[in-house]
Amino acid sequence: MKFIERLTTIDRRIIYIILVIVVVIPLISRSPERVRVMLPVEKLYNAVDTIPKDKVLIIDFEYAPQDMPELEPMGFALLRHAFEKRIKVLALCLFVQPLGLAQKALTQVTEEFNSVAQSNADSIIYGRDYVFLGWQPPPLIPIIGMGTSITNVYPSDYYGNKTDTLPLMKHIKNYNDVALLVSLCAGSIPRSWIAYAQNRFGVAVAAGVTAVSAADFYQYYQTGQFTGLMTGMKGAAEYEELVETRLGIKKSRKASEALPSLTYGHLVMIAFIIIGNVGYFMQRRRRK
Amino acid sequence: MNISPDPWVWIAALLSLAIFSFLYKENPFYRIAEHLFIGVANGYAVTFYWHNILMPTLFDPLFRQGKLLYIIPFIIGILYFTRFIPRISWLVRIPIGITIGYYVGVSVPATTQAFIIKQIQGTVLTSTNFQAWNAGSWGIVWSVIVFIGVLCSLSYFYFSKEHKGVLGVTSRIGIVFVMIGFGAAFGYTVMARISLLIGRLQFLLGDWLGIIQ
Repeated sequence: MKFIERLTTIDRRIIYIILVIVVVIPLISRSPERVRVMLPVEKLYNAVDTIPKDKVLIIDFEYAPQDMPELEPMGFALLRHAFEKRIKVLALCLFVQPLGLAQKALTQVTEEFNSVAQSNADSIIYGRDYVFLGWQPPPLIPIIGMGTSITNVYPSDYYGNKTDTLPLMKHIKNYNDVALLVSLCAGSIPRSWIAYAQNRFGVAVAAGVTAVSAADFYQYYQTGQFTGLMTGMKGAAEYEELVETRLGIKKSRKASEALPSLTYGHLVMIAFIIIGNVGYFMQRRRRK
Repeated sequence: MNISPDPWVWIAALLSLAIFSFLYKENPFYRIAEHLFIGVANGYAVTFYWHNILMPTLFDPLFRQGKLLYIIPFIIGILYFTRFIPRISWLVRIPIGITIGYYVGVSVPATTQAFIIKQIQGTVLTSTNFQAWNAGSWGIVWSVIVFIGVLCSLSYFYFSKEHKGVLGVTSRIGIVFVMIGFGAAFGYTVMARISLLIGRLQFLLGDWLGIIQ
């Protein structure tokens, strides 16, 4: 009976150590895991892939450092996809914290492309291929204001350039010129894009969200309010898989590399939940 | 092993370890890291607001360019600080009233349309439901399950009548759907938390220690 009692009183630090070991081993041994792409991610990929030349993709970077493991790989994969297909991108943030991380993603992916570019036409040029609009509070103002004029809401970009002087912005006036808006967010901002941008101006919205909020967002995909949906590290890995297999871009895939650790971490959690419950029910039966 | 020579990577790594040390027990390293994080985050936000919002959109136009109309938002904003003066603290209601009035006016029609009307449409039994999932002929089956789930879950939260008879049965079915929802949310939460651990370990083992590429 001592064994059963021990099952329900395992020191939490032992659980942490086991979890860390289980997560670290697959990261070091780099055991590959097949990524099966689910429909919501595939639909998002197809929506980005079919953006016409005269329209833009807006990426709303809303992840802070605590959301990076799940949302940053989504941002990288989306940018690689867009730049590879020469889709024009507008990047923006509705809060302060994500600004640095958005700039990091844009700079890093631009460098990846420019390091192998043969000519000016092959390169990704700021102002021509993408613009980083920066941040304009409070969130509701840019969401609604961009329906009338994007350059009015963002008179200058993140780097201080006047937006109406940038080549890309000469053809982009408002949501009529936006094919798709993807919000990478750990909070409720994708809902605001639906309520104020889609509802009023008809812009197509998709989202990349953290796993913890995934259950709150699937209903918007089911009703068609989201064109596509990526959820958590698994969603990011699925998009990475599509970018690699369909576009042949072989770059670092942080989310895909982490999937085995995620799987084993889950199995350990399931095992502990079962152990805890078995211990509890056996103890209860003994008391009776 | 290829340890990073970058001092910023070292600072980030040591602060990560300081925060992780809380898993063993509360200690001074954890507290230093926690206070540092709060201080840096607030300092960053305040300076960013000052240089990127207050200066270019209010103080510069008002005081340097002489655009006198900006005096109106300036005064409304200043009224927030009246709550520190008890005698005129009631004035704080003016900016709060304007803010609430604006947001309620903007959000009520938009959220009703987007979150109530559209979601009710998503529950109505039609052949187009579950098109997003390419459900095909199974779409109607899933639609019926969602339809029953929504009605029964709503009946569970109907507290004006005792849960007996038909209401007792539907509310009991409703609680099953609610529990399945909680289970899904908990599963996703576990996934999210393990993802965060993986992210930090990728940084410590990769960017800092160079054990993984």
